[in-house]
Amino acid sequence: MGNGFFTDTTLCIGCKACEVACKQWNQLPSDGYEFTANSYDNTMALGATTWRHVAFVEQPVDEHDPTVNRWLMMSDVCKHCTNAGCLEACPTGAIMRNEFDDVFIQPDICNGCGYCVPSCPFGVVDLIPHQHGIATTFATDGRTNDDAVQSHGGIAGKCTLCYDRQKVGFDPACAKACPTESIQFGDVDELKDRARKRVEQLQARGVAGARLYGVDETTSVGDLNAFFLLTDTPDKYNLPERPVLPSTRQRPGYTSAALAAGALALAGFAIFANGKTE
Amino acid sequence: MTALRDISPDASGRGVGDGAPLVPAAVVGYYDQPLLKRPHWEASVKIYLFLGGIMGCSGLLAMIVGDGDPERARVARNARYTSIVLATVCPPVLISHLGRPERFLNMMRVFKTKSVMNMGVWGLLAFSGVAGAGAVGQLARDGFLPRWMRILGPTWAVNVPLGLLGAFISGYTGVLLSATAIPVWGVGKRHIPAFSLCSGVAGASSLASALLVLQGGSERMQHKLVALERVAATAEFALLQHFRAYAGDFGTPMFAGKQGKRLSTWTMAIGILGATAIEALPVRSKWKSLLSAAMTLTGGYVLRDVLIEAGKDSADDPKAAFRQPE
Repeated sequence: MGNGFFTDTTLCIGCKACEVACKQWNQLPSDGYEFTANSYDNTMALGATTWRHVAFVEQPVDEHDPTVNRWLMMSDVCKHCTNAGCLEACPTGAIMRNEFDDVFIQPDICNGCGYCVPSCPFGVVDLIPHQHGIATTFATDGRTNDDAVQSHGGIAGKCTLCYDRQKVGFDPACAKACPTESIQFGDVDELKDRARKRVEQLQARGVAGARLYGVDETTSVGDLNAFFLLTDTPDKYNLPERPVLPSTRQRPGYTSAALAAGALALAGFAIFANGKTE
Repeated sequence: MTALRDISPDASGRGVGDGAPLVPAAVVGYYDQPLLKRPHWEASVKIYLFLGGIMGCSGLLAMIVGDGDPERARVARNARYTSIVLATVCPPVLISHLGRPERFLNMMRVFKTKSVMNMGVWGLLAFSGVAGAGAVGQLARDGFLPRWMRILGPTWAVNVPLGLLGAFISGYTGVLLSATAIPVWGVGKRHIPAFSLCSGVAGASSLASALLVLQGGSERMQHKLVALERVAATAEFALLQHFRAYAGDFGTPMFAGKQGKRLSTWTMAIGILGATAIEALPVRSKWKSLLSAAMTLTGGYVLRDVLIEAGKDSADDPKAAFRQPE
C-alpha cells in the first residue's frame, strides 16, 4: 500500500548524487558554499529547499590507531510518516496525503503559518524564505492556477517524493540517480520485505548493529513510508530513538485548559457571589 | 592495523561483528547539529498570545460578573468592550505573521479538529461574532445605537457563549504549543495551557480593575476584581514552580539562562509577587491600582515572550530532541 523509499545506509558511498538530482529536478536553490569541517558534510541538515541530505559519520574502530575509521553514510529524507505531525498540524489542509500515500504540501494552498515546522518530530519541514522563490511544477492534476506553478517563497517546503515524476510513472530523482541502490523506491510493503531480508543477511555476516528504522514501529508516529536500514543507534544519524506524534498531547492539553478555566470561573463566581448593591 | 575487509561488511564474509560496540557510548548525536527546526514565530505571535489571552478572559469575566446590578453591569460592560476591541486587533496581528498573508482565508477552507491552529481560527471567528453581538447590544443600551438593538444582549444569551468561547480562545494557544515536537513545550502539555489561562484571567482582571479605577467606579467591585486577579496570579505562580520541577532538563531553556532570568524577574518577581505586594500596601490611591495592573500585564507579556523564545532554544538542543517527551 503506497510508494516510499527504502534507504539502505550500508550501501551508501556518500556521493551526494541524490542531493544533486533532487536540487536539479525540483529546481531548488543552492545551499551556498559553506565549509563546515564536519567530515564531508557541508549540507548538515534537511531544509525547506534541501530535500535530500547525506550524513557522514566517521567513527574510530581501533582505539590504538586513530587513523582507522569506519564510515556511516546516510541519505536522509522526509519520512512520509504514517501519522504525520506536519499533516495533522496544518490548519489549511495544504498538507495532504496523496494517492501514492505520501505526505505532500500543496504549494498553492499553504499560507506560511509555520505550524508544521515545530510539529515535525524529525525536524524536516521548514519555511522557504521569500528571497528563495522557487519555481515549482506541482500542478500535475490539470490545475492551471499560476500560483501553483510559480511559488515565490513564504510557504513550507519539503520532499514531495517527486509527486510529479510518480504521476507519469517515473522513479523519484534521488532514487534514479543513486548509483548503488542505497535509495530504493517502490511499493512500501515490498520494500519492507526486502529490507527485513537485508537485515538478516547483514546480521548473518556479523553486522550486529544492523536494524531497520521506521518498520514495525510501536511509536505514535508509526511506520515511515521512507524508512532506513541503520548500523548504529538512531541518534548517530540525528534521528530520534522514539519519535512522538505531537497531536497525542492535545487531549491532556485541552483537558488541562478546561480544568483551569473551570476552576478559575468557580473562584470568580465565589468572589463575586455575595451580591446586592450596598 | 585493521584491514579494510574487517570494517566493510559487504566486502567480506567476516565483517566486524563480535557484537561489541564500535564507538564509545559517550558519543551522542551528530556534530551537535539540532535535530528539530526552530519555530519561526516572532513578535506578532507573542503579541497575539498575550492579547488573545486577555481578550478571551475578558469574555470569561463578563460571564462571571454578569449584569445583576448596575455595579456589575459596569464591569461586564467594560469587559465586553475590551473583548470587541481586542477581537478587532487580534486578527490583523495574527495574519501579519503568515508567510503569505493574502492567503489567510485558506485557514477556513477546512474544519479540522486535529489541527489546534485551525480550531483556534474557528474559535476566534465565533468569539468575534458573539463579542460583536454583545458590543452592539451594549452600544444600544448605552444609547449609541437604536433601542431595538438591545435584543442583541447584554444578556445571558451573549454572556454565556462569550465566556465559554473566551475560555477556549485563552486556552487553545497553550495546547497549540504543547502539540508540537518542541521538547520544552511538549513536556508542558498539562502546565502550559493551565498557566496561560491563569495569566489571561490575571491580565483581564487587572485591566478591568484599572478601567474601573479610571472611571471612578465601585470600590467594592474593584476589590473583587483584584481578589480574582490575585487568585489567578497565585495559581499561575504555583503552576510555573511545579512546571520547573516537573520539566527537569527539558525545562532548561525556559527556566535557566537568559530566558529564565527574564521569567523570574519580569513575570515572577514583578508581575506576580510585586503586583501582589503593591496591592497589599495600606494606601488608597488610584496610582496603586494602575501600577499593579501595569506590572501584571507586563509579566503576562514576558511570559509569552519567554515561552516562544524557550521553544526556539529547545529546538536547538539535540539531546532533548533525541528523547522526546511523551
